[in-house]
Amino acid sequence: MAAGRVDLRVDLAGLSLANPVLAASGTFGYGTEYADLVEVSKLGGIVTKGITLAPREGNPPPRICETPAGMLNAIGLQNPGVDAFVRDKMPALRELGVPVIVNIAGETVADYVALAAQLSECDGIAALELNLSCPNVKQGGMHFGIDCELTQTVVAAVREVTELLLITKLSPNVTDIAEIGQAAGDGGSDILSLINTLLGMTIDIQQRRPVLANVTGGLSGPAIQPVALRMVWELAQAVDLPIIGMGGITSAVDALQFIMAGATAIAVGTANFVAPGVTGCIIKDIETFCEEQGIARIADLVGAAHAEV
Amino acid sequence: MYARTTRLTHREQVGPDCHLLEFDCPEIAGSARPGQFVHVRLTGGFDPLLRRPFSVMNINPAQGSFQVLVRTVGRGTMLLAQSEPGSEFHIIGPLGNGFALPGPPGEVVLVAGGVGVAPLIFLAAALHQPDNYRYVRALFGAAIGGDLCSWLELSLVCDEFTAVTEDGSAGEQGMVTDFLPAQLDRGAGCVYACGPTAMLAEVAEQCRRGSVPCFVSLEQWMGCGVGVCLGCVIPTRAAGAEHYQRVCKDGPIFDAAVIDWEAMRRGCGPG
Ligand SMILES: Cc1cc2nc3c(=O)[nH]c(=O)nc-3n(C[C@H](O)[C@H](O)[C@H](O)COP(=O)(O)OP(=O)(O)OC[C@H]3O[C@@H](n4cnc5c(N)ncnc54)[C@H](O)[C@@H]3O)c2cc1C
Ligand SMILES: Cc1cc2nc3c(=O)[nH]c(=O)nc-3n(C[C@H](O)[C@H](O)[C@H](O)COP(=O)(O)O)c2cc1C
Ligand code: FES
Repeated sequence: MAAGRVDLRVDLAGLSLANPVLAASGTFGYGTEYADLVEVSKLGGIVTKGITLAPREGNPPPRICETPAGMLNAIGLQNPGVDAFVRDKMPALRELGVPVIVNIAGETVADYVALAAQLSECDGIAALELNLSCPNVKQGGMHFGIDCELTQTVVAAVREVTELLLITKLSPNVTDIAEIGQAAGDGGSDILSLINTLLGMTIDIQQRRPVLANVTGGLSGPAIQPVALRMVWELAQAVDLPIIGMGGITSAVDALQFIMAGATAIAVGTANFVAPGVTGCIIKDIETFCEEQGIARIADLVGAAHAEV
Repeated sequence: MYARTTRLTHREQVGPDCHLLEFDCPEIAGSARPGQFVHVRLTGGFDPLLRRPFSVMNINPAQGSFQVLVRTVGRGTMLLAQSEPGSEFHIIGPLGNGFALPGPPGEVVLVAGGVGVAPLIFLAAALHQPDNYRYVRALFGAAIGGDLCSWLELSLVCDEFTAVTEDGSAGEQGMVTDFLPAQLDRGAGCVYACGPTAMLAEVAEQCRRGSVPCFVSLEQWMGCGVGVCLGCVIPTRAAGAEHYQRVCKDGPIFDAAVIDWEAMRRGCGPG
């Protein structure tokens, strides 16, 4: 097959992406920060850093620390708030020429509803991603995402006030990912994304105290890839909604595993920090893989591994 | 900001646990300013995962090279210290704000602690350029004489130079900050400091009392290095959204007057 002949387009509940590779929330800023180093227009889309109603100053430092093949973060959703986001960040985001998915987080159901209502009035947003899975805030965040009833309640409440596509971002810090995913679907979520970070911690044995000021943080990076893949696999067996898979992706091999496990699109997070050009390499290498395998459409590989078991 | 695969062209041990590394990169050598840093990917893989930040110690635009001074403190710096010339590293830089030059008028006092000397060598060299000219007096402290890495390079770009060691094995005996009051009494237009947090907090306090402008180079664990992850913040005295500022983007050079030194002393990150 000639180069460039592979159809990399994927469809997420009506949202068409030029290719399945997204930049994950919190790891790509508001789209412009990496402009010097990354051809942003070549991405399938970008997901912005979590936005809350009011500005948040975030957690005290130290906020991050390296772990074997991974990192812990406890940023605590530092962000300028939705008004400043719409005023200062959206104009440049609209110019990027790629679908923009806005990640939102709240402490109460009313917060999510107010955010969704306000952002529905704003041009240039392809979808909202409900962050029900932030492990680093005291209220809200992950408390929603680890409870089926709360998940369904918040998704349903948001569904009532917006026509925008709704993505629900799931926490891996649960016993049964499938039942949470189903609850999000019952609430009216169009798409599911997973995983957010895994709760973890590190202790400085010289100082005899936790390294992170927040004590615990979210684990991301290559270390979590097999766990994330397993969760995408389990969710794909349980729900019919399109899935955005993420967690530790650094290469096309990782990305293709998520796709074959049932993800229609994938997102790259921590790897952007290490290798800002990695998303471009992944897109190119997925294309090469498809050419070599005689696959005409990447969409044909979604869930392919399930057929074999 | 550039992202380049660079070659390590020279490695030299300059102290018990300190190496001077020179990299070939015309873009960084041609654009780095004093106080800026580079973010170095340690391997082609993802373990160790994160890049490591190092201040630029000097540039040689004609040769297209720049140098960093690396103290071995853990796995990543050990990897660098053991790398053979000819090895390739992917480097992003120059990053961060750098020192505002020429800065306030009057004589300049530099206070360097250990490997914190690196950005101050670059700064002192710039302050001896005709455009930015300042009379420069440097204080350089370390635990032992052997840790006064690259003292010669610093002394060559300063008008006055005082070495201080805790054990008295080289230069004056004591803490480097013991020698700052005399410098401030002589009159100073500005103090620039880089070193351990406890040293910086003391320098900042002395400058506050003496009403001398003071700029410090701070460190924090970094994720992205380019302002995206919000992982590298330090506490300032500002309230609200400005309270936490990013070392990689808003810094690493900060006006000492804006930093919350109380919180810094309680421990917010590396030493
Ligand atoms: C803007 C900036 C400029 C810097 N410039 C220099 C420089 O010119 N020369 C130099 O030798 N070092 C410099 N550092 C510190 C250097 O980045 C760290 O020492 C290095 O990242 C440690 O990596 P490691 O894998 O060896 O240590 P790790 O295994 O990650 O940690 C080992 C020990 O090092 C300490 N450490 C880790 N990260 C840092 C850090 N960012 N700063 C200080 N201590 C740390 C930890 O407390 C730990 O105890 C700079 C840091 C910053 C933020
Ligand atoms: C520094 C950092 C900040 C993050 N911020 C957010 C956020 O604001 N909202 C969110 O839903 N996920 C956030 N995440 C989670 C990522 O989007 C992603 O789900 C997770 O890191 C797993 O992917 P990775 O291993 O590729 O990084 C953040 C992750 C990191 C490392
Ligand atoms: S290291 Fe990511 S914001 Fe500074």
